[in-house]
Amino acid sequence: MKERRKHFLINKPLQFRYMAYFTSALIIISAIALVSLYIGIWSSILESFSDARLRNDLLLASRLTEYEQARFPAASVAAPAESPSILSFFKQTEKLSRHQREIFKMILDESNQKLMFKLALLLFFIAWASIYISHKIAGPLYRFHVTLGDIEKGDLTTRIHLRKFDEALFLAEQFNRAIEKLDRTMSQLKNIMRENEANPQRAATRLKEELSKIKTSADS
Amino acid sequence: MLPLQGLFAYEPDARDVQLLSKIEQDSIQYFVRMSDKVTGLTRDSSQAGSPASIAATGFALAAVAIGQSRGWIPKEQAYAQIKKTLRTLLSKADQKKGFFYHFLDPRSGKRVWGSEVSSIDTTLLVAGALLAGQYYPGTEIEAMAKKVYARIDWQWMMNNSSLVCMGWKPESGFLPYYWNSYNEHLLLQALAIGSPTHPIPAEAWNAWTRNEDVYRDKDIVYSYTGCLFTYQYAQAYIDFRELDDRGINYFDNSVNASIANWEYSSENRDQYKSYGGNLWGLSASLGPAGYKAYGAKPGQGLHDGTIAPHSALSSINFTPERSIAAAHLFFNQYQDRLYDHFGFKDAFNLDKNWWAEEYLGIDQGITVLMLENYLNHGAVWNKFMQLLPVQFWIKRCNLLKVKSADLEIQPMSFMSSSDTSDSRAAPPSRQ
Repeated sequence: MKERRKHFLINKPLQFRYMAYFTSALIIISAIALVSLYIGIWSSILESFSDARLRNDLLLASRLTEYEQARFPAASVAAPAESPSILSFFKQTEKLSRHQREIFKMILDESNQKLMFKLALLLFFIAWASIYISHKIAGPLYRFHVTLGDIEKGDLTTRIHLRKFDEALFLAEQFNRAIEKLDRTMSQLKNIMRENEANPQRAATRLKEELSKIKTSADS
Repeated sequence: MLPLQGLFAYEPDARDVQLLSKIEQDSIQYFVRMSDKVTGLTRDSSQAGSPASIAATGFALAAVAIGQSRGWIPKEQAYAQIKKTLRTLLSKADQKKGFFYHFLDPRSGKRVWGSEVSSIDTTLLVAGALLAGQYYPGTEIEAMAKKVYARIDWQWMMNNSSLVCMGWKPESGFLPYYWNSYNEHLLLQALAIGSPTHPIPAEAWNAWTRNEDVYRDKDIVYSYTGCLFTYQYAQAYIDFRELDDRGINYFDNSVNASIANWEYSSENRDQYKSYGGNLWGLSASLGPAGYKAYGAKPGQGLHDGTIAPHSALSSINFTPERSIAAAHLFFNQYQDRLYDHFGFKDAFNLDKNWWAEEYLGIDQGITVLMLENYLNHGAVWNKFMQLLPVQFWIKRCNLLKVKSADLEIQPMSFMSSSDTSDSRAAPPSRQ
C-alpha cells in the first residue's frame, strides 16, 4: 500500500521560508518582465503614435511622395503643380502604412533586444540564487556525510559544525549531543578496562554493568 | 591642373566676398547640427522627425571637410564627425551591393519609409566621401572613403542593360526608371566608369541621349525637368571646363542653362511678382503646394512663382554676376523671412506670400560646394579631379579637350595609392 502524506506542513518555519524564497523570486522576475514590456513596447508605441509624431509622419509621407514625383518623370506627369492627384494620395497612404509597420518592427526589435539582455541578467540572478539557497541544504548534507564517514571509521570525537543560517542546524545540534553521549559511553568503557588491567574479574563486572545501560540489537 | 585665375568674368568685391563667405559658413552649420551625434548620418531636412538622407550625408562629409579647411570647424571635431560617418557607412548602414538606401534611420542606419536603394544618392554620398578623403590624405578617412567606393557594384545597377538604373527595392526589384538622358547623373557616370573594382563599360557614357533645344538663341543640352540643380550637381565636383563630349562642353552648357533660367523667370515677370531682375532661381524645391520639380525652358519648365535661393546661388560659377546680385537681393530684402542660422531657407513665393520654414540638406550642400569653388579658387574641383577614377573616366571616354599624350592610368592602383600631388593641403582662403 502506498504511503500517503497526511501532513504537508511538517516544519512550518522551514517550509514557509522556502515558499517565500521561491515566491519572491517569481515576483521579481515577473515584475521585471512586465515593466520591460511596458516600457519597451507600450511607451514606445504611445510616443511613436503621439499627435505630434503622427502629424510629422503625415507631412513626411507627403514630402517623400513629392520627392518621387519630382525625380521620376513618369510619376511627375501624374502630379500637376497645384492639385495633388488621387494617385499621390494613395502613395502617401501606402508610405505612411509602410512606415508604421517599420515603426512597429523597430519597437519590437528594440524591445526584444532589451528583453534578451534583461533575461540574461535574470538567468544569472536565478542561477546565483539557486546555488545560494541550495547551498543552505547541500552544505549541511555534506557535513553530515563527512561526519558519518568519520564515525563509520570509528572516530567518535567528530562533530558537525554548521553556519548560522544553514538549514538543519537543530538536527546537527541533536546529532552532536547523541554522538557526544556515545563518545562518553565508549570512553567510560575504555577507562574501566584501563583502570582494571590487574583485576579482570572486576573489569568484567564493571563492563557488564555499563553495557546493560545500552540497548543494542544483541539484546533481543 | 589648369590655372584657375581669370576664369570668372566677374570679379567680386569685398562686400560680395563677405556675404558669400557668411552664407557658406552658415550653410555648413546645417551639417554640423543636423548630423546624428552617434552615427554621423545627416537628416534630409530640418523638419522634425526627418529621416537621414544619404545624399545629404555625402554633402555633409564634403561640407565638414571644407569647414575645417576654412577654420570654421575645429580640426578634431571635423575629423571625428567624418570618421564616425564613414564607419557607420561601412558597418551599420543598410545597403545592397554597396548602394545605400535613400533614407535611413539617423540613429540605427536602418532603411526607413520603404525607400529604394538609390544609385544617384549613393553617388552623391560617395563623391562627398572621396572628397573628404582628399582633404585628409594618408589617413583613415581616405582609406575608409575608398572602401565605401570600392564596394559599390555599378555593373549590377545596370540590370543587364546599357543604362544605369535609378534604383532597386527588395520588394519589387529594379525600378522601371533609368538614367537615359542628360541630368545630374554625369557624376554617377564618372564614378561608375572610373570604378577601380566594378567599372561599367565606357559605352554606357554614349548610351544616354543628349536632348538639345534652343532657348533664346542658346543651344542647350537640357534635362527633362529643366531644374537648375540638374546643371549643377555634377559640376560641384567635376571641373568640366576643359572637357569635351563630342562638341559639348557641359560647363558652357550650364552657363547657358543658368542664363536661360534667369531669362525664363524674367519672361514671366508679368505673371508672378516673385520673378524679374535679380529675383530668379527655378529648381526643385519646396513650394506652396509641396516639393516640386520647378524649372525653366528648355525642358518641362514647371513654375508657380516659387524661387529657390540656393539654386540661383549655386550657379555662381556659371553666372557669377547674376548669382551674386541675387544673393544680395535675397539677403538684404528678405533676410527676416528667408535667412536664419543655416543660411537661406529653401524657397519663397511672393505671390502667395509663402516662405519655407525649412532647410533641405542637399540644397545646403550644393550651396556650400559651389561657393567653395567660387571663393577658394576651385578648391573642390582641384581635389576631386585629382582622383584616379575621375582621370580614368576622362581617359576611357576620351573627354579631354586637348588630347594628352598617353597617360597610363591603372584604376586598381587607386586603392593602394595615397596619391598624387602635394597641392592637397587645404588651399589658402581667398579672404
